[in-house]
Amino acid sequence: MVIRYCALQWTFPVFFYDPEAARAMGMPGTIIPGPLKVGLLYRAVDEWLGGAGWVRQVRAAHRRPDPTNDPIDIAGRVARVYEEDGKRRADLELAIINQEGQPSVRGFAVVEFH
Amino acid sequence: MPEQSLLTDDVRALIGSETPAGAVQVTPRAWRHAVEVYTGRVPTETPANGEPVSGYAIAALETENGGTSRIPDLMPNSLLIANQWEFERPLRMGETLTASSRIVDITERFGGRFGYSIDFRTESVYRDATGAVVARSGITMTQYDVREAERAARRAEDAG
Repeated sequence: MVIRYCALQWTFPVFFYDPEAARAMGMPGTIIPGPLKVGLLYRAVDEWLGGAGWVRQVRAAHRRPDPTNDPIDIAGRVARVYEEDGKRRADLELAIINQEGQPSVRGFAVVEFH
Repeated sequence: MPEQSLLTDDVRALIGSETPAGAVQVTPRAWRHAVEVYTGRVPTETPANGEPVSGYAIAALETENGGTSRIPDLMPNSLLIANQWEFERPLRMGETLTASSRIVDITERFGGRFGYSIDFRTESVYRDATGAVVARSGITMTQYDVREAERAARRAEDAG
């Protein structure tokens, strides 16, 4: 997934695929690209919607690196449901949780229901 | 930590600087590639022209647009610390948009997990043929010195 992402963006920072280079930069090893993680948040919200709406916004604040091949969990909760511009929308609080149970990413999304 | 701020007038002058607008297109190839990356699945069907597509496609548009604004290398290391996608409406298959990128803000931080660091916030804006904004993507990169970041981490550990 990481290499496919690098090909999509046509950018190949060494800390995504070279463990020694990543450690030299103070990272635990090769890491999951941040932009890939915002896409994973988008995917989680999109799948949660299940066609009942669409994702207007997704944001990610990266707190900790996630080593490649380490499983991650995505958690979320509906923070607010409201009407805006005649549309029913919801704000979601999101997080990517690493294997230590720590949030590596704090996220936020806005969805609009059909 | 540098003896003086690295945010010189020349650097501050970059705030608001914008790349020339260029055309990007939501193509079936770009959409399929983005879906494969973010879902791990090969789509069995491609939306017809004009149909809404998942927002993953914006990642392909970023590439087609040549990435974000160029930022100067003021520190030896850099890392993404925040990013976002925003949509005024779903992207549509086949549509051509005009893309431009700009540096929104440059700030410096003293202390914290990276020690002295400089944050660059950039934004790409995608407009339709009428000039209406369809989508935005933004990133915040921090530049830092890994040796100073390690010292900052040791100080934090020592402090308990």
